[in-house]
Amino acid sequence: MSRRNRFLPGGRAIFFGVALICMVAIGFLAVEIVRDLRLLNSANSDNVQWTLSQAEVEFLEMRHALDTARRQPEPDLDRLIEEFDIFYSRISTLETGALYESLRDLPEFAEPMQRIRRTLDDLVPLIDGPRADLAAGLPRIESAFGQSRADLRELATSGLYHFARQSDFQRISVAVTLMRLGLLTSVLVMVLIFLLRHAQNASRQTERRGHELAAAYTRLNTILDTSLDAVLVADLSGDIQQFNPAAERIFKYDAQQVVGRNIGGLIVPDHLRDAHEAGMARMRAGGERRVVGRGRVRLDAMRSTGEVFPAELALETAQTGSEEIIVGFLRDISHRISSENELVEARDKALAGEKAKADFLAMMTHEIRTPLNGVLGNLSLLEETDLTPAQARYVHNMAVSGKLLMSHVDAVLDIARFESGATALRAEVVDPGRLVQDIIDSQTSAAEANGNTLDWAWTGAPADWIRVDASRLQQVLVNLIGNAIKFTRDGHVQVEIEQGDPLDQPGAEAGLWLEIRIIDTGIGIAEADLDRVFEDFQTSGCTQDKGLPGTGLGLGIARRFVRAMQGEIGAESTLGEGSVFWLRLPVRAARAPHNADRTGTGCAPAGPCSILLVEDNEINLELARDMLSLMGHDVSIARNGQEAVVAAGARCFDLILMDIRMPVMDGLAATRAIRDGQGPNRDAPIVALSANVLPEAKDRFIAGGMSDFLGKPLMKKELAQVIARFCSDAALAEGAPRDPAVDDPLAALKARYLDETCALFDWLATMPDDWSEIADRAHRIAGSAAAFGQADLRMALLSVETTAEAEDAAALAQAVSQARRAWETAPDPSVA
Amino acid sequence: MMTFPNVQSASAALFLTFALAGAAPAEHLPEPHGPVILTVEGTIARTNGEGRARLDLQMLRDIGETTITTDTIWTAGTSEFTGVALDDLLDYLGAEGQEIDARAINDYAVTVPIADAVEGGPILAYAMDGKTMSRRDKGPLWLIYPYASSSTYRTEVIYARSIWQLDRMTVLD
Repeated sequence: MSRRNRFLPGGRAIFFGVALICMVAIGFLAVEIVRDLRLLNSANSDNVQWTLSQAEVEFLEMRHALDTARRQPEPDLDRLIEEFDIFYSRISTLETGALYESLRDLPEFAEPMQRIRRTLDDLVPLIDGPRADLAAGLPRIESAFGQSRADLRELATSGLYHFARQSDFQRISVAVTLMRLGLLTSVLVMVLIFLLRHAQNASRQTERRGHELAAAYTRLNTILDTSLDAVLVADLSGDIQQFNPAAERIFKYDAQQVVGRNIGGLIVPDHLRDAHEAGMARMRAGGERRVVGRGRVRLDAMRSTGEVFPAELALETAQTGSEEIIVGFLRDISHRISSENELVEARDKALAGEKAKADFLAMMTHEIRTPLNGVLGNLSLLEETDLTPAQARYVHNMAVSGKLLMSHVDAVLDIARFESGATALRAEVVDPGRLVQDIIDSQTSAAEANGNTLDWAWTGAPADWIRVDASRLQQVLVNLIGNAIKFTRDGHVQVEIEQGDPLDQPGAEAGLWLEIRIIDTGIGIAEADLDRVFEDFQTSGCTQDKGLPGTGLGLGIARRFVRAMQGEIGAESTLGEGSVFWLRLPVRAARAPHNADRTGTGCAPAGPCSILLVEDNEINLELARDMLSLMGHDVSIARNGQEAVVAAGARCFDLILMDIRMPVMDGLAATRAIRDGQGPNRDAPIVALSANVLPEAKDRFIAGGMSDFLGKPLMKKELAQVIARFCSDAALAEGAPRDPAVDDPLAALKARYLDETCALFDWLATMPDDWSEIADRAHRIAGSAAAFGQADLRMALLSVETTAEAEDAAALAQAVSQARRAWETAPDPSVA
Repeated sequence: MMTFPNVQSASAALFLTFALAGAAPAEHLPEPHGPVILTVEGTIARTNGEGRARLDLQMLRDIGETTITTDTIWTAGTSEFTGVALDDLLDYLGAEGQEIDARAINDYAVTVPIADAVEGGPILAYAMDGKTMSRRDKGPLWLIYPYASSSTYRTEVIYARSIWQLDRMTVLD
């Protein structure tokens, strides 16, 4: 449309203008030529000159007849009369003929003509009269014609002159016409040339456009032919106009087979056909377009085999001439969908694997730490009993081994947690000096055992409170200082701590850093080994180490933690002279917390406190109660959350130690109830006890309103620290008398454990239908079984618990029978 | 301008047919009674002595009258010419030939092709506007073409063939 419009004002207008001018010119020329031709064609002149001279000839003939008549005695009057008539006729012709009309207007012609006429008329009576009179009158006739000779000559010359002039005019007129003709012909030729050029241009343009069109068509066809997507062109009624090779491949039709047929029946699967027809009808009616022009749409398509496959479709409409067509691009995405599905499956599997790993880790935490808890706890108790020196040594060795095992487990857990990304940084406000002092204090005895001196000092100005992940930093420092002590004999371990701003810009908080250097005079590290010391599982090959070998993970964990805190860690060493391990962390200055002064130094024994111990596992309960009692605290007991809430409502406690997983009401719910209630312990510190030491679990406890967390197994030192932290200024005057434990608490516990387990199996034999009670009792005995070294039984009971929770009767029956077998084949219950 | 010379000529021809139907085919023409105004020689079938056909006005009138109304370059205005059509005359005389040598009293001579003698073509006029033409008025006979009927009759050649004061004709092969 627009192309045509663009043409009209330019080329076409010129073309029509020129054509019009040409036609007018040709018309004008035609008129001119016809007029001239008529002038030339219709000869309106006889041979005038001839007529004029003929008049003279005839006059002379007449004179001759007259002379002859006069000389003859018998004059031939008939001849004279004939000659007179001829002359008369000639003069009449000149007088009346239309041919001589212009001549007659000339006085030099008209006057002699009149004179001749008069002469002739005068003579007519004589000529026509009697012959005798005529014969007598011959002299008179001669005299009458005396003047006529001259008149006739004048007549002829004037006529000749006139016609010569007229002839000139005619020649000029013809010349002018011819010139005009020539001029117009030239113009016409030029116009024709112009038109020819124009026509040539137009034709060339048309030809070029034709070539371009052909090229574009070829290009388009090539594109269509090589397209990987099916390209379909259809009209508004859905009849296929074009079907490219990709479409042939995808739909398994031949193009010739489908062109002209309706798209709906060919490639739209049955379940979409109604929607397709409705859509086409809507589009024809000019209604809403749901697919056309909406980009890619996912839908199903159908092959000639009837196979339905997923496809991506993009539809557009286009105007071709007066007709609207639909162009569809369709991609077979069945491969992609299947690979996507495979990927999703693979990812799901991987995620499930990760989950399984995490679950496994959590399980291991529980599985390993719970029995260790039992071992170490009982060792702690055993140390308090009267032992022979040898026994004391064995117990000590066992405790060392147990603690080492615990530290290995913790190290592996640390790494696993770190790798699983479960380690979120937890910034706390700490006094770095105190932090280091605490560690030094805890390590002093170890240092002394190796004959080392251990101290620390600020380099430069001491820093105030800073914000840093204290527990991580503590772990790293313990590791580094522990190493220094381990590899130094009778030497010196010095810790230097320094805070600064690399740009020396006071007040630029963001630029603050803290550097801590642990300098020892130990055995040193060979330079070749220095690069590897931070790698995992790098143990020192040093045989001088009389202690137990480490896991080789300590420095690897330290480096991970420091890097996680955006810090650096490094070491310098000279073999035989000592080593320097340094770490540098970015820190942020912070204000001192309100209860800053409460942050105890850790080991200071607190005065007797009133403590509510909430624990469902009897063994663990007994262990913890004994530990607390030995520390001189007043211990109350609750066996589940419900009991705890009741106990907490009855009197005020300095501290509540709350197990998490318990029957009736779990620890979190009990905490919430205490916190939300109006009881005296609403604001009392509540510390969670859990074998689940994963950080997210701790976060959950803190979020649930708990004050702190103690991992199982309970370590006396940690327990003492927690009590010191929460009860130091709440020391009760009345030191509770030391609660004398039963003489042989373990034997009593063992007897009770055997009774409870037998009772459980008896009860299970009655096929109880209280799912939750089954689960709870199985869980409780499982916890005890672990403590008594019956791991198989524990596993079997846990699966009883699981199946009971799942309310799966068949699986439960099987689990119970397995548990019974495990119980029957279990070793004698023994603690550590 | 002109008054249907064709129709009049046709009716004249019809009249002629009847006139001749009564008479037996005669090789000899009757003798003229009045003054002879036209003598025809050459390859003609009918004569009245000495291989010539001598014709007076009445004889010409008897052949049949044809009228042409036209203007001429030699006369003023439009005139009605009455005479015998050349083709009628040639038929009457049984003329066979290609051309006619026509001569006037003053010895003006022209050659007229026989092809000119067609129906609706030239006549030998003996009267103009109803008046018999005298010698002084280009009589007694004037070969008049129907100039007004067609531009083909308005050419120099036709004008030259329009001989007046005609008195002799010779039909030539």
